[in-house]
Amino acid sequence: MKKSTLIAILTIVIALFGVVKGVLAQQVSLSISPPIIDAVMKPGKSIMVAYNIKNSGDPVIVNTRVVSFEPRDNFGNVRLKDKAIGPVRFSLDNAHLELEEPFFLDTGATQQLLLRMRLPENVPNADHYYSLLVQTTSPTTVEGVASSRARATIGSNILITVTDSGVIDIKPRVTIFETLSKFKITLFGKSIKIFDSLDKVPVVLYIENNGSNKIVPGGKISLHGAFGQSADYEILPKNILSNSQRLIEATPSADLANGLSLPPTSLTLKGLFIGKYNLSANINFGENSPTVFGSTIFFGFPFKILGGVIFIIAVTVFLTKRFSKDDED
Amino acid sequence: MRKNILRAVAVFLLFILSTGIISAVSMESPRFQIDNANVNSASGNKSSSGYKLSDTIGQTAAGRFSSSGFIVRAGFQYIHSIIPFQFSISDINVNLGTLAPGMPSTATTVLTVSFGSAGQYQVTAIEDGPLKTLNDANTIDDTTCDGGAETCDESTAKTWSSSSAYGFGYNMSGDDIPTDFTTASHYRPFPDRTEPTPEPAAIVMSSVNVGRDRQATLTFKANISPIQPLGSYQTIVNFVATPGF
Repeated sequence: MKKSTLIAILTIVIALFGVVKGVLAQQVSLSISPPIIDAVMKPGKSIMVAYNIKNSGDPVIVNTRVVSFEPRDNFGNVRLKDKAIGPVRFSLDNAHLELEEPFFLDTGATQQLLLRMRLPENVPNADHYYSLLVQTTSPTTVEGVASSRARATIGSNILITVTDSGVIDIKPRVTIFETLSKFKITLFGKSIKIFDSLDKVPVVLYIENNGSNKIVPGGKISLHGAFGQSADYEILPKNILSNSQRLIEATPSADLANGLSLPPTSLTLKGLFIGKYNLSANINFGENSPTVFGSTIFFGFPFKILGGVIFIIAVTVFLTKRFSKDDED
Repeated sequence: MRKNILRAVAVFLLFILSTGIISAVSMESPRFQIDNANVNSASGNKSSSGYKLSDTIGQTAAGRFSSSGFIVRAGFQYIHSIIPFQFSISDINVNLGTLAPGMPSTATTVLTVSFGSAGQYQVTAIEDGPLKTLNDANTIDDTTCDGGAETCDESTAKTWSSSSAYGFGYNMSGDDIPTDFTTASHYRPFPDRTEPTPEPAAIVMSSVNVGRDRQATLTFKANISPIQPLGSYQTIVNFVATPGF
């Protein structure tokens, strides 16, 4: 009896960890650190940055390469190009690893990549944006069935500003600073935004970078009400790449994934808004840099509260009259 | 007694001093000097006459490093992230089985992105051509869904439920997916990088919010016509996960 139980247990164990193991899904799980590097370099200099690549999935063969990227949209996403364009020369300082040459990464293993970035002499001042990509090789084909094999790639962004003098080309411009209102009226050629007092007030702020280097905004968006109310919202220092624009985010309520149908917002104001409100943006880009300003106004009116009050009054009057009539009858 | 106390104090002092020595590592050469605040990491101030370096590798916070030659910052400075960017695919060999005409076959894989404290990322997908036999003689075209008003493309998901609508496509469900995948019957074809004019990769997951273990299930679907030649049809789909900037 004991022997048969032992055989049964062994059979189950072998089935679970032996036979079945061969058909388990092949999982890929890669991590990269740091996720972004931001370097300001002089021509003729080189730097080395250490990346850690960790494999938390099944054993895998990976290779590495560097490609250029450009902004995909106004929200900080990247569009990768096929190859690295620009003057920066990339190589690995690791003794046994080269870019674009595969290497093995066992389960749980971490590989440090020592990425050397070299700038030739006399390179003109400009920005160059790259991604270091770590890519798995595709699994082997499966005969006799239809299959879709997946190749996983993980990236880390590299932002390089080339400057021979240390001076950064800062040319920002506020392109849009406004509230997104459903109700607008035009008076004397000016568009006036009106919100219900209880509604949230979405605010969008876009800044265009016309310079040849990336810039990082700082500063705040300030709200001032007609009755002395005021609040400040700090602008998050996110990169605006050269010759692009970006939606600025202010903490704590920026929402770039604003539901299914609403546009992304820099800030969402909440409260009981009554009367006129001034919104001002004061944006700087570091020491000795130009400051740019933007301002807009909106009005809060208690439509819903008034509607509710009018409804209650109407119902009260109606009921009072009705009961008065009944009493008279 | 006094001697013992003296010994204990000496041992304690030695311990403290030795701990101090191994907690910070300095490396230098005629060209550079690296001061590390943490022996287990590459983080800390790195400087030379040629450069300064800031990074988030290891276990300390992000910082900023500079010199006359360059300045480097690593990690998202507004968040001071030290958590790596991680991307997982639960199964990279998705088996659609033996295809039968008019009998759609589906299989799933789960995409997971972890971005502990700096949440902006995207995952794109693009195929190395449509499903085709190993000798490239026959292909299963990418789906156009049910057709008519329900014609899908690489950027717009539409209903694909008709058993007479043939092709190969995918559906998404879960976190951070495109909003046009409103039901489990909504599909898109993958963009094809082998087209004469390569199609741009499609975003299948994206988020600007801080997130750990953001998961989306990608369902592959293939449906063949009665005249589809027999064979082992295969393709490779490239998933690329990149952080924002």
